[in-house]
Amino acid sequence: MRIAAVAMNTFREAVRDKVLYVLLFFAGATILGSKALGWVSVGQDEKIIIDISLAATSLFGVLIAVFVGTSLVYKEIDKRTIYTILSRPMWRYEFVLGKYLGLAMLIGVVTLVMAAMAAAYIAVMGGHVGLTYLQAVLLIYCQLLLVTALSVLLSSLTSPILGAMIVFSCYVLGHATGIMINMPPRFDGTFVKSAFETAYYVIPNLSHFNIRAEAANGATVPGTYVLWTMAYGAAYTALLLVLAAFSFENKDV
Amino acid sequence: MYAIETRGLAKIYRGRIGRPAAPSLDALDLTVGSNEIFGFLGQNGAGKTTTIKVLCGLIRQTRGTAAVCGIDVRRREARQSLGYLPENPYFYEYLTPRETINFYGQIGGLGAKERERQWGSISELLDLREIAGQRVRGFSKGMRQRLGFAVALVGDPAVLILDEPMSGLDPLGRRRIRELMLHLRTQGKTVFFSSHVLGDVEQICDRVAILSKGRLVVQGRVDELLSRRVTHVEVIASGLPETVDSEIAATAVSSRNSEEGRHFVLPDLARANDAVRRVHAAGASLVEFSPVRESLEDYFLRLQERKP
Repeated sequence: MRIAAVAMNTFREAVRDKVLYVLLFFAGATILGSKALGWVSVGQDEKIIIDISLAATSLFGVLIAVFVGTSLVYKEIDKRTIYTILSRPMWRYEFVLGKYLGLAMLIGVVTLVMAAMAAAYIAVMGGHVGLTYLQAVLLIYCQLLLVTALSVLLSSLTSPILGAMIVFSCYVLGHATGIMINMPPRFDGTFVKSAFETAYYVIPNLSHFNIRAEAANGATVPGTYVLWTMAYGAAYTALLLVLAAFSFENKDV
Repeated sequence: MYAIETRGLAKIYRGRIGRPAAPSLDALDLTVGSNEIFGFLGQNGAGKTTTIKVLCGLIRQTRGTAAVCGIDVRRREARQSLGYLPENPYFYEYLTPRETINFYGQIGGLGAKERERQWGSISELLDLREIAGQRVRGFSKGMRQRLGFAVALVGDPAVLILDEPMSGLDPLGRRRIRELMLHLRTQGKTVFFSSHVLGDVEQICDRVAILSKGRLVVQGRVDELLSRRVTHVEVIASGLPETVDSEIAATAVSSRNSEEGRHFVLPDLARANDAVRRVHAAGASLVEFSPVRESLEDYFLRLQERKP
């Protein structure tokens, strides 16, 4: 019940944040604006709209996960609301988990709204979305859950600005893992190569969660691939949440 | 079993790189009995808030032990019997008092019926009903303090720890808090609070402890700590002949004219009685005779001056 109370409170707080609506407005505008790119790509309207809509869902979801997530715990300490909460008989991990779940709920609703908006728009344009579109949305959400967990971990360790910079770097590197492991030969034996190799094994491979091209082209994605990717995301998310709870356990507030 | 007990409690915050760590609290031995109102005094930076934060589980001590109702404060169960009001309490601005109490009841593990029951009693005690539906965002300092008190009472804790509960309040607000603390004592609760308002502390506390630079200077009953000796006597007389006036002024610490007559400050009772005898002998009127005893503030200042 304690985790649910913190989660619901976090959700309620985030829903009342005006920034959320600004981001949703821009996400909607991007989805509607995707038609413009469709015009310049003759016969590709539907593909372009699906691709851009999914990209917008992912990008704006990440923006919310990073900007809200990295200040989630930090703000509670900074505004001192945490004093009256942690002096209650609750475990600290319950607080961290509650904050995470509240934001995860919010991102779930936002992802659903953006995906539904895009699907309705595609239908109005005469197209249709299939199973792969839904799978793509599901994997985007799994990716957002992972990014949110990283944001919450950093929120209990550092300032929101530094946290956001680190999460964005991980997000970009997570989508470029192929480059990290296949450095040109001239980097052999250098620090750069070993640093990128280490990062390759530490940073989650976020490109696994990207099946936008398949959704846009109406290709089939095996259910087992989606399940394995979800399990991969869940493992990383759980690990990050354990680290967040651990780092927060003995923190002086 | 003590309501609060600390033994050799110390907290050293990590210093910045290249700078030594700053000890905020050092070897604090403190005992607070059940059903006491206990005043925790000290100048700014003396370590009062650090002690309170350790007791509430917000920070971990570097050395020593601390317990609330016999349970180590590092254990979650210790907070079961503890209610905390931080200095300048902050709450979620978008919640109403009713939602706030409900939220703290939930995280305190109370069921829906119990939360409803507690809202009824707490809102009545603190007059929250008229503002039950207003958002905290627009609340004044006094209203926030009342809500903070209400939050501390959620879960019906045996021990209340209040950090500067009277800070920034007007005289009416301070009186209300004092009355509330006295009421809580009648309910069998222990109230431990830090304050700068020594007059308030003297009025309501059973015992006090004074901290200086992280160390305990003294703790005990207020009436035992204060010598209660007469520090000086104020005598006011009117219609005094000039010669008598000069005689009394010669034995006084100071003298001045006031609306009621001549105002003398005599160093002790013997000289004050002698002055009164002279006033009567001269056929003048005695307007006031006030022996002044040492206050907690005098005692506190005396201690601070004594310490390096």
